[in-house]
Amino acid sequence: MKILIIEDEPELAADIGAYLTAQDYLCEYAGTWAQAREKVELYRYECILLDLMLPGGDGLDILDILKEQGQQDGVIIISAKNDYESKIKGLHAGADDYLAKPFHLPELAARIYSVIRRRSFANQNNVLQNELKVDLSSRVVTVNGAVVSLTRKELDLLLFFISNKNRVIGKSALAEHLSGDIADMFDNHDFVYAHVKNLKKKLTEAGYGNYLKTIYATGYKWEG
Amino acid sequence: MKKLLDQSLRPLVMYAMVVLIVSIPVYFLTINWIWENELDKHHYAIREKLEKRLTSLDLPDSSVSDMISVLDKVQPGFSFTQATAPSPDSSYTLIRFDTFMNDREQFRCLMTDIRVNGTLLRVLIETNMEEIDETILAIAAVTIFFFILLLAGFVYLNRKTSLRLWRPFYDTLASLQSFRLEGGKPAALPVSQVTEFTDLNQSLDRLMDASLASYKQQKEFTENASHELQTPLAIVKSKLDLLLQSRSLDQPQMQILEDAYQAINRVTRINKNLLLLAKIEHAQFDQQQNISVAELFHALDAHFLDRFESSRIHYAQQVSEMTLKANPMLLEILLTNLLVNALRYTPAGGSVSVRADQSKLLFANTGISPLDEHSLFRRFAQASHEHAGSGLGLAIAREICERYNWQIKYDFDCGHHHFTVIF
Repeated sequence: MKILIIEDEPELAADIGAYLTAQDYLCEYAGTWAQAREKVELYRYECILLDLMLPGGDGLDILDILKEQGQQDGVIIISAKNDYESKIKGLHAGADDYLAKPFHLPELAARIYSVIRRRSFANQNNVLQNELKVDLSSRVVTVNGAVVSLTRKELDLLLFFISNKNRVIGKSALAEHLSGDIADMFDNHDFVYAHVKNLKKKLTEAGYGNYLKTIYATGYKWEG
Repeated sequence: MKKLLDQSLRPLVMYAMVVLIVSIPVYFLTINWIWENELDKHHYAIREKLEKRLTSLDLPDSSVSDMISVLDKVQPGFSFTQATAPSPDSSYTLIRFDTFMNDREQFRCLMTDIRVNGTLLRVLIETNMEEIDETILAIAAVTIFFFILLLAGFVYLNRKTSLRLWRPFYDTLASLQSFRLEGGKPAALPVSQVTEFTDLNQSLDRLMDASLASYKQQKEFTENASHELQTPLAIVKSKLDLLLQSRSLDQPQMQILEDAYQAINRVTRINKNLLLLAKIEHAQFDQQQNISVAELFHALDAHFLDRFESSRIHYAQQVSEMTLKANPMLLEILLTNLLVNALRYTPAGGSVSVRADQSKLLFANTGISPLDEHSLFRRFAQASHEHAGSGLGLAIAREICERYNWQIKYDFDCGHHHFTVIF
C-alpha cells in the first residue's frame, strides 16, 4: 500500500511517515508543490495526504491535476485551516476526506484505512481479524459466524482499533474520534473507558480472544 | 438628538418670537398713547368751542342755565354741573357699564371748568373708545398671525437654502453609513466644490484607508498567528502519539504523556477559539438559513450523552418546535459552548436541563454559588478556578449572540446556574 505525504513541514511529514510505516504502509514524501506535482503525475498511490499550503502553489491544484488524469487515488486533505468553507471547498474539489491540524496519528491512520477500503471494490468490504469479521456494507460484526450486536459507537471504535492494529492509542485520540470537535473542550475523557469496556465485554462474550489490551489505564492497544 | 437643519432654524425662530412678544406691549402702548393724545386734543377743542359759543350767544344767566340743562340731557357725552370753586383739569380713562350701549365700555374723559357769564360750570366730556383688553387681543392676534407666517417662511427658506448648502455633507454621511470595515473597500465620497467639504472628505478618506489597513493587518495577524501555531501543535501531538508507541514506557511515564496530551489539547482549543472569535468579528459566516433547533439538539446530544452518563449527570432536553434564522455553524457553536459549559461546571450527580420557551432557550445546571456575572462573558475570565476551560467559550457565545442581536443572560437561583438566550 503506497501513500504519498505532501507536507511542507518535514518534522510532521516524518512523524506521519514513521507511524504509517509501522502500519505496513509504504510512504513517499513531497515537500513542495513542484515535487508533489511530479509524484502524482508519475506514480499511483492508494492514498495521498495533501497539505493545502505548499511552497510554490496551492494544494487544491494537485486535486485538479489528478482529476484531469482521471486518476483514482484516494486523497485526504490535511490542513491547518479548520473552517467549514475550506472543508467544503476541498471535498468539492474531489478530496475524499478532510482532517484539520493538529490531529492524532491514530485518527489519520483510521481515515486512511477507511478511504482505501471505500476505494477498493474487489471483496474488500469484509475486514477479517482472527475469528472476527466485519462486513462494512451491512455493518454487521460476527465472531466465529455468530452475530455480535454493537452500537454505532462501538462499531466505530472497533474499526478505529483495527485500523491502528498493534499501536498504543491514547485516551485523547479516542475521545477525539468518538466525539469529534467537542472532544478538545474537555480535559476529562473518562467516558471513553465505558465504551471500550462495553465493546470488550461484547466481544469476549461472543468468544473473541483477548486482543484488546488496556495499558496502565490511559492507553489501549488492539493486538492482531 | 437634534437635526442639523433645525439647529440653524432654532435661534432664528427664538429671536423672532422674542421680538414679536416684546412688540405686543409696545404696539399696544403706542396705539393707546396715540388714541388718548388725539382724544384729549379733541376734548380740549370741544371745550374751547363750547365756551366760545356759549359766551358769544350773550344770553341772560337764566337762559344759560336752561340751555345747559337741556344740553346736559340731550347731548351725549357731556354732563354739566355747577361748580363752586375752580379745580384743575383732569384727563382720565375709565371702563364702566354703559346703559345706552348695554355693554361694558371704555371712555376717555376730560373734566374741565368753563366760565359762562361769570358762572363756573364743571363739564365732563366723554368719548367711547376701544376697550384696552380687546385692543391687546387684536394686536396679539395679528402679531401671532404674522409670527406664524414668518415661521413658515423661515422653515421653508431654511430648508431650501440649507439643504442646498449641506447637500454634500448629507451625501458624505450617506456614503459613510454604508461603509463596512469587513467590506475591505473605502466608501466612495462625493466630490464637492466647497473647500470645507472637500477637506472633510479627504480626511475621511485618509481615516478609512488607515482603518482598513490596520483592520486587514489585524485580521491577517490573527489568522497567520493561529495558522502558524497549528503546525507546531500538530508536531507536538504527533510526537506524543509516536512516543506512546515506545515499548519501554512505565506507568508514571504514561501518566506524564497523558498530562502532556491534556495540555496540548487545551492549547489547541484556545487557538481554535481565538481563530473563531476573529472570524466572527470579521463577520465571516454570513450565509444564513432556517434551522430547526430541536434537530440541532438531537445531533448534539449524540456527542454529549455519553459524557453526561460517565459524569453521572442527569440531562433533560425539552426543546420542541423552534426555528431560527442563522448561520448553522454559528448556532451549533453557540449551543455546544453552552452545553459544554453546563457539563463542565456541574458536579457529579447533578443535573443539566435545556428547555425552550417561546423565543427563549434556558440552560440550567446544578451549581454551588453564583458566578461573577461581570467577568463571566469576558475573554480569559475564569469564572471558577477549579476547572480549566479555554476561558473563551462564553466569550464566543456572547459574540455570536451580539451578531444576531440576541440577548444572553446569566442568573443564579435555587442552587442552579441559569443561562438564557433570548432570540
